Amino acid sequence: MTVLSLRDASVVLGGRQIWQGASLNVEAGTINVILGPNGAGKSTLLKAILGIVPLAAGEIEVLGAAPRRGDVRVGYMAQSRAADQLSTLTGRDYVGLGFDGPRFGWRRDATKAATVQRALELTGTLSFADRPLRTLSGGQRQRIALAHATVFRPQLLLLDEPLAGLDIAAQAEIVDLINLVRASTEAALLVVAHDLNPLATITDQVLWIARRQIRSGAIGDVVNERTLSELYGHPIEIVVTPRGRRVIVGLEEEFAHPHPHGHDHSHEDVHEHFAEVYDEVTR
Amino acid sequence: MSLWTLLMTPFVKNAFYAVTAVAFAAGLVGYFVVLRRQAFAAHAIGHIGFAGAAGAVLLGFSPLAGLLVFCLGAGLLIGLGGASLDDRDAVVGVTLTAALGLGVLFISLYSGYANATYSILFGQILGVTVGDVWLVAALSIAVVLVISLVYRPMLFVSVDAQSAEARGLSVRGLSLLFMALLAITTVVAIQIVGVLLVFSLLVAPAAAAEVVTRRPWRALVLSTVLALASAWVGLFLGVWIGGPVSFWITALASLSYLVARVGAGWRAHYALASV
Repeated sequence: MTVLSLRDASVVLGGRQIWQGASLNVEAGTINVILGPNGAGKSTLLKAILGIVPLAAGEIEVLGAAPRRGDVRVGYMAQSRAADQLSTLTGRDYVGLGFDGPRFGWRRDATKAATVQRALELTGTLSFADRPLRTLSGGQRQRIALAHATVFRPQLLLLDEPLAGLDIAAQAEIVDLINLVRASTEAALLVVAHDLNPLATITDQVLWIARRQIRSGAIGDVVNERTLSELYGHPIEIVVTPRGRRVIVGLEEEFAHPHPHGHDHSHEDVHEHFAEVYDEVTR
Repeated sequence: MSLWTLLMTPFVKNAFYAVTAVAFAAGLVGYFVVLRRQAFAAHAIGHIGFAGAAGAVLLGFSPLAGLLVFCLGAGLLIGLGGASLDDRDAVVGVTLTAALGLGVLFISLYSGYANATYSILFGQILGVTVGDVWLVAALSIAVVLVISLVYRPMLFVSVDAQSAEARGLSVRGLSLLFMALLAITTVVAIQIVGVLLVFSLLVAPAAAAEVVTRRPWRALVLSTVLALASAWVGLFLGVWIGGPVSFWITALASLSYLVARVGAGWRAHYALASV
């Protein structure tokens, strides 16, 4: 079943074209990883799907209809919730806000406690759910955030940089959990990431955003020298390490500098870097 | 005159009703001030209100009207301009200093008796009239009612604005509503403790409550209880021992925060030692 489809979709923000002519499909029960340099419009894609950012052209269909803010069939985990690090709120209360946080008024829902409990069980967070968020590790906080986003068992789950700022072990845990959520809910997942390597084994489709275009397909169809060179208009090489990790050569400045504008790199400069930008962890 | 007859005099009774109403509103709103890290905004709104009150006195209006207009205006301005965390402090700071400057100008232009200015700065709890009590009570009840209705969305937006927005809440709308509630509460509290000390009643009980409990509901209740206790005991001590009531209320509210911090420190220490 197609959960999400874009047809010739474009977004313009503040007079700037973010991406255009994007067409893609996302199927139920698949994990789709969104990659691309900083500022390419990865989070914007999620916001367009959520109905927060309007399209300038084309159309988006989410579960058979136009995107609608507040649709509980769509779960969303925002990037870097800064308040988490200060919050004295417990994980359980935060997950509870995913249940009835948007609701005004005095009415209380009797099913809340049980629903929250199920979300905590699914994400394996029961043992630390009653501690304040600020006392949790980064990985524990991300697990709680996943519980928050999945409290209604969404059919489409959007995760913005769930692996950012985690060490390798914690990344692996979150990747396992993402796979578990997919298996137990049959949801379609869209995962924004900086590095495909930790997610590669569970990825069904890659959405690569660069130069105002979005390319989608299986890893091999997108992450190859021809497609990426075409996408960037610049020769790209892919080196596969003995352990099977892919290192992309030729994108150094795209990934090394969050805001490439204003830096005047000469062509030689780009090639002086020997390799590796792709795997952020090893840097 | 015995203490009891002193406590039963109309002006002490009026003061009692007024501090009770104020403590409810301040305790509840204060919790969100602490949660949203907007203590600076709370501080600024009071001072901006001072300019409004001084201006109103200069023009021959009631200082309360000037307070209401300026505090609400400042609250909405801060809510609109500083919705993003990055520039909030700058927006608040600039608005604050501009208004304080105006206040200084108004006072220098005003040649009359400066008693009104003094009571705005330091509160005049024992001069509260029956009319003031009704106004303060009505505003406080409105604030408490609105907070009870928007409690969950306000909490959601305060701890995770991005997710709340995705779920259909208006972050800007709730931010404006909060600043309006804060402004009204500040106006009400200024009647009791004055511009310079309003901050203590709004922030100290809530900050103490947040240290003691991590559950939002309990923190709200505890914050209100601490604000009430500070207000009642402060009023009693002011009447019994003497000295400005606003001093006693401020001292007690601050003390409750100090005790909460020290208590939490000890608890953490012994929890570690017993492991």
